[in-house]
Amino acid sequence: METKNLKKWEEDLNRCIRCGYCFEACPIFKDQGWEVDGARGKLILSYGLLNKDLEPSDFIVQKLFECTFCKDCVERCSANVSVPDIISAVRTDLYEAGFHNDAHDQLLEKIKESGNIFNKELSPPHFKGEKGVLLGCRLLERKEDSRKYLDILEKLGVKPKTFEETCCGMPFAVLGNKKGFSKQQDKFRASIPDINNEFICACTTCVFFIQKKYPDLKAKYIINEIVERLPKYKNKIKKLNIKVTYHDPCNVARGLGMIDEPRWLLNEIGAEPIEMSTYGKEAECCGGGGGLLVTDKKLSEQLALKRVKQALHTKADYLVTLCPTCELNLRNMAAQYDGKIQVRNVLDLVAEALN
Amino acid sequence: MAKVDNKKLEKIVGKDNVRDDLGTRYVYGSDSSVHEALAWSVVRPETKEQVQKIIRYANSEKIPVIARGSGSGMSGQAVPIKGGIVLDLKKMNKIIDINLEDGYCRVEAGVIDDDLNRALKPHGVFYPVAPASSRVATIGGEIANNASGVRSVKYGAVRDSVLGMEVVMANGKLVHLGSRTRVEAAGYQMDRLMVGSEGTLGIIVEAMLKFVPIPKYRCLGVSNFNSLEEAGDTIASIMSSGAQPSLLELMDNVAITAVNKTMDMGLPDVEAILMFEADGMVKEAVDFEIEKMKKICEDNKGFGIEYSYEADKRTKLFAGRKKLFPALSKYKDLYSCTSLADDMAVPYSKMTKMARKIHEIAKKNNVIMTAYGHCGSGCMHTKILMDATKGKQWYNAKNAVKEIYEYVSEMGGTTSAEHGIGLSKAPAFKLEKKDSLQFMKAIKHALDPNNILNPGKMMDAPDDWVTATKLRYNVN
Repeated sequence: METKNLKKWEEDLNRCIRCGYCFEACPIFKDQGWEVDGARGKLILSYGLLNKDLEPSDFIVQKLFECTFCKDCVERCSANVSVPDIISAVRTDLYEAGFHNDAHDQLLEKIKESGNIFNKELSPPHFKGEKGVLLGCRLLERKEDSRKYLDILEKLGVKPKTFEETCCGMPFAVLGNKKGFSKQQDKFRASIPDINNEFICACTTCVFFIQKKYPDLKAKYIINEIVERLPKYKNKIKKLNIKVTYHDPCNVARGLGMIDEPRWLLNEIGAEPIEMSTYGKEAECCGGGGGLLVTDKKLSEQLALKRVKQALHTKADYLVTLCPTCELNLRNMAAQYDGKIQVRNVLDLVAEALN
Repeated sequence: MAKVDNKKLEKIVGKDNVRDDLGTRYVYGSDSSVHEALAWSVVRPETKEQVQKIIRYANSEKIPVIARGSGSGMSGQAVPIKGGIVLDLKKMNKIIDINLEDGYCRVEAGVIDDDLNRALKPHGVFYPVAPASSRVATIGGEIANNASGVRSVKYGAVRDSVLGMEVVMANGKLVHLGSRTRVEAAGYQMDRLMVGSEGTLGIIVEAMLKFVPIPKYRCLGVSNFNSLEEAGDTIASIMSSGAQPSLLELMDNVAITAVNKTMDMGLPDVEAILMFEADGMVKEAVDFEIEKMKKICEDNKGFGIEYSYEADKRTKLFAGRKKLFPALSKYKDLYSCTSLADDMAVPYSKMTKMARKIHEIAKKNNVIMTAYGHCGSGCMHTKILMDATKGKQWYNAKNAVKEIYEYVSEMGGTTSAEHGIGLSKAPAFKLEKKDSLQFMKAIKHALDPNNILNPGKMMDAPDDWVTATKLRYNVN
């Protein structure tokens, strides 16, 4: 197999000293328990493919696609190795060598056809303001929720302007389809109305991805906007007086490095956060990232179930989060507990408090 | 590859706990050393009875068995140089008993050091070995390598915390070694024999460990020095003064430069930094120790001395040392940070000379080396930074390692203070222990006549560590 994408990361693979610190928190390793499931195992497999010690087998391909890109390994790494970038590179080489997964292909085809992961015609709620707001596929599909979130911005003095969106291309990049990603990037750029101006992004995953892969674009996370503006509107807040436990989405806590702001926001609206056993930069992943929901739904849900159990332990009224994918995965698993804990988006609570 | 009957192993541990695919064997073929080799099968037992059955089978077929914890060892102890079965013990992770009355705990071999300490903390006690890898290191692996760490200067190495253990011997028999008491004079200290045996004499499946009270007060100080000699003299003075540091760490200028260059830490541009800590249950006692060490630093021209009891401030003061390893890994483009002659110990009075010699040898052999470590226990770390893809660099590294160990021997030091021997340090170890190698071989033969337990390591390892196995790097 040609490894031209992986080759670019050879220095990082040599820098890895295989200390194993990365599998301390790896959600896949913690669930499966074989070293081949952890980040170190995936790096060693990648190195084996690069050196031609290994050829791709169904097993090796499966292992390399069983990663949620939670980035906890990066936090623990003793040598600053960029594990998700290496996994992306090896997935690209595998994809280009013909190791396709039908479920992945179907997902990417949907995006090519419709511009979103649902293969539906999705339009945002109509807001004709000044400041561009990108909702992202998952929120576009929840039109009423999106309207509420845009209303929050309006109430805080922003004049949102929505536009016909197309996917930022994250699924292509994560699943190794480099050419598809390149084409989707062009479409995405073309969809942004005022490309030189800052725009607000409501989706956790999109904003992290855009900041990383489109460094020229000025995407601002909706939470930053709200946190900046809310102090001026404190008198409009109706305290909710509830107890919540906040699940840090990987792309927020470890991607954007945002730990305190969501907690501050929750406190401001009267939603007292009670921490789970892991939180902040050490928060466990819900299993929804890295394409795992498509690659192995069962495994993804096992990880979400663990997180829901941690949330139940806090005895909070709600399990809240910011990422729509986390929300979906956690909600599906929380449903097993007959309403003992409900999963909600922090933005829903903010909307309620400002209502 | 039909040397292992996996069906037999599956009958013992279940199908889900046996693998022989190339991907898995490749991953389990390396640890944190420079070596790699392929096992034939990887097995995950969950009970000591299962371990016994596996060992009985392996012994009857003369199949090598390599015990493995988290594979964080740096000398190749867990690398299956002769193939065989890798015994992944991480599923044996139960904390069986925390006995506060008698002051010990019983744990399975796969318990992670930090997990044990999390369980002990509510009881106000801790297991003090604290190797840097405590977040992943298993107790079994720590015992098998006689690990130590930053606080060993006060609390000792693993050998000082082990009361006893259960071990599966090469014939599959389970034996109980040591006792539950603080002292024991009942014959050969067989538990001590197992400490540091690197899986060559038996498979440690359970351990009985001492713990100590969590100190109420902890104070960390930092002192800068304009010469390595002055820092070295300070170490020797502190250790001969009767002071009781709970940590005494040195960073040389290579280490300081690495941290500043790659982590933007803003450490002072000095020849050496010394970190000293005292802990205890009574503040006045800690104050006394800190003042004593501070005075010794000042007497030896230490300057910029700071110290603090506050946790946040202590974290800041220690940040440079904490970030050293990632910093070394990023020190120079294309360079890898290798653990070779990495954990020797020398008498306190020889530490400065040792550090100077390390710099001299590095320069001579065109590699980058640093001198840092737990100088309070005489241990010095010397990561070799080099382009590990270049054959010439391995030649240089080999010469550097040889010269370092010759000097360690001259200084009356030892090959390994905390990482163990495995493959990388076997040549130096054989020289250091030449008087007792035959005893070791006799013990090994008596306990493991078929040589199934981690064969080809320590005294039986190849004389050339560079060619002992395939190197884990793609060397051109």
